[in-house]
Amino acid sequence: MPPGTKIFDPSWVFSHLPSIWERIVQHLQLTAVPLALGIVISLVLAIIAIRRPVTYGPVTAITGLLYTIPSLAAFALLRPIFGLSLLTAIIPLTTYTLLILFRNFTAGFNAVPAEILEAAEGMGYTRRQRLLRVELPLAVPLIIAGIRLASVTTIGLATVAAVLGDAFGGLGQLITEGIQGFFPTKYLLGAALSVLLAFAADVLFVRLERVITPWSRARAGAR
Amino acid sequence: MRTPRVLALGLTAIVLVGACSGGGGSPSPASVAPSTAASAPASAPASAPASEAAKATIRIGSDNFYESKLVGEIYAQVLENAGYTVERKFGLGSRQERIPTMDAGQVDLVPEYVGSGLGFYDKTKITGDGQKNHDALQAALDAANKNITVLGIAPGTDTNAFAVRSDTATSKNLAKMSDLAAVQGDLKWGLPSDCDTNALCKGALETYGITYPPKNRTPLDACSVPMATALQGKAIDVAEFCSTQPAIAQFGFVVLTDDKQTQPAENLAPLVRNDYLAKVDATAFKALLDAASAKITTELLTSMGVEVDVDHKDVSEVAKNFLTTQGLLK
Amino acid sequence: MDGVIDFFADPAHWTGTTGIPNRLLEHLTISALSILFATAIALPIGLYIGHTNRGSSLAINLANIGRAIPSYAMMVIPLPLTLSLAPVLGYDPTFGLDFLPIFLAMTFLAIPPLLVATYAGLRSVDRDLIEAGRGMGLRERQILGQIELPLASSIIVGGFRTATLQVIATATIGAILSGGGLGRFIFDGLNQGVAGRPSIYAGAILVAALAIGVDVLLSLLQTRLTPRALRKARRRGMPGPSGPTSVVDGADLPEAAASPA
Repeated sequence: MPPGTKIFDPSWVFSHLPSIWERIVQHLQLTAVPLALGIVISLVLAIIAIRRPVTYGPVTAITGLLYTIPSLAAFALLRPIFGLSLLTAIIPLTTYTLLILFRNFTAGFNAVPAEILEAAEGMGYTRRQRLLRVELPLAVPLIIAGIRLASVTTIGLATVAAVLGDAFGGLGQLITEGIQGFFPTKYLLGAALSVLLAFAADVLFVRLERVITPWSRARAGAR
Repeated sequence: MRTPRVLALGLTAIVLVGACSGGGGSPSPASVAPSTAASAPASAPASAPASEAAKATIRIGSDNFYESKLVGEIYAQVLENAGYTVERKFGLGSRQERIPTMDAGQVDLVPEYVGSGLGFYDKTKITGDGQKNHDALQAALDAANKNITVLGIAPGTDTNAFAVRSDTATSKNLAKMSDLAAVQGDLKWGLPSDCDTNALCKGALETYGITYPPKNRTPLDACSVPMATALQGKAIDVAEFCSTQPAIAQFGFVVLTDDKQTQPAENLAPLVRNDYLAKVDATAFKALLDAASAKITTELLTSMGVEVDVDHKDVSEVAKNFLTTQGLLK
Repeated sequence: MDGVIDFFADPAHWTGTTGIPNRLLEHLTISALSILFATAIALPIGLYIGHTNRGSSLAINLANIGRAIPSYAMMVIPLPLTLSLAPVLGYDPTFGLDFLPIFLAMTFLAIPPLLVATYAGLRSVDRDLIEAGRGMGLRERQILGQIELPLASSIIVGGFRTATLQVIATATIGAILSGGGLGRFIFDGLNQGVAGRPSIYAGAILVAALAIGVDVLLSLLQTRLTPRALRKARRRGMPGPSGPTSVVDGADLPEAAASPA
């Protein structure tokens, strides 16, 4: 560090709150959009996989393959095609969520005991009713587990989007600029906010799960 | 499941590299304050007379370090002031990444350093004369059919500068590059990995009587954060920087004078795509930018760098002050 | 592309400190040390939170620091510290430049997948079996060692494999701080513009080959370590209803324990 650099300068933070907030919002965009897209796509894929188990293997293989592509490579590959738009960032971030979400969603559906499904059929539920009223609610724990993991992963990955430059840098941009300028306040803030966001997302989904599955708490208590 | 995964990892590692993307974030000189209105295109055009059609929207890009963004911002503001609409696309990456982006037509104008810009195409033609480098660069671009014009050069240059810590300068009596030969064995050298094949690095050092490669040599990217940090932390004793880099002033390093004039002329100049020039009044456009470039001196580049990096001012603010002081804004 | 073949054909690239064998060794060394250190940290913690199911949220969230911060930052940020501690702790500053930062960054990178996999592996063990163990009078440590670990071993080694893969791939960035390893081929090549392309490709191929090789070895190890009775079960396709029924965060998902590179 240049001599006399403060490790952390709160006055810089306070005088730059709007731009810091902008970075946070960018980061949330970079997380929320891929997550939402990923959930929708994975849910559809999971339902298909449950109906036709033969698709499970190929879908896992493809999502797994997409997952392996290092994020920097993905951004580099898409840049020539989509330019420096939000798409270049969102597409890889979405595909990274697919493996986690797809496997968790299918695991969730598969965890629904067969007897309950039969009982529902016996009660005259249509396929759609069975899905919406029985399978989905019971699959929620593993579904939420997947969303938790995917959200934390995406928040971390979104920091790499800083390679796309100033427009969508998010917290990764704060970190990069801080490093380049020998300005610890900036990069420490960026790193801390990234970690905090991940933590907050995790807590959020845990709470959400408790809210929508009150019966699981009862079951856990009885164990 | 796992073996395909690993194969994919390998394949994409290769593709990654083929797409010429740098490693985990390119080490580049100094910092940038986030440009204001990050994702919004430019501000409204100034009150403009009749020929609106002749002032097509221009997309200005820059490399991923503060100085490139600063000069890009200067050009942007000059053009906006003259009635052009500007879309800023700063921070495109390193030169390796920015060039394909411009070739693909995603930006119309970027600031370039004529020495290194030329070196990307032909390292043998680089000289210590800015105008010569400019002309050679234009020739190289034409030979590669890029349809890009190099506009007039600025007097300001940002070239290689070898520096030491002030305590080293004092204890070993170092003020100019020629002083290094006597103590070369005692020093740990931080040099970029391409120094071996770079006449302006290896050749320059040999001109100063340094046996190449030096005994203690650490490969670090020139002008980078690791280079500066390593010098400060005493992992190296001699480092290669960029001459206008604020880090030099920030850390109090001592630049050794290039007394034998070995370093390339790295004058700044805008690169513009010909298809954009065709859309506007090229003569007026060039005149506008040449006038701005003419005011960009090395001293001002250095002092502006300090404003951005040490004072943490926004690039747009610094550019605006520069233009106002130089009387380039109406 | 033939530049790459020439690169490998050139005998000069196979000898000396800058040769492929030495760079491979450097790469393996830094990777192995980081993973060992990460295992030493993550495994005990994972076993504890997995067995007791306490503090898992905290531990995993702390571990996620390794995921939330880009590896380049995790390497460059501690640099001033590792350099300034050199005179204090008595090591050469160069060590604080080309080894310590990348070592720390890789360790932090390897911890999350290991920790999560250990935790998930233990949680995936059927509670009834553990109860049975308690009923038989086994002590907690015996339950952990004789029941939980063997059943969880496949998932845990899966996490280990993932961590190893990530570290091997990412250790290339150590070259930014003058470190050795296969990243040197890539970064030195990047610096040389067009002329450096063969070096870049060669480096990437070598990293991929190393990663594949190590992964294959570890997969053999994983099979070896799985109790024979479970090997057939593991070859199942979908996680079926007979799979782990306890509600766990990504129990059956060792791959998901890692974040993409």
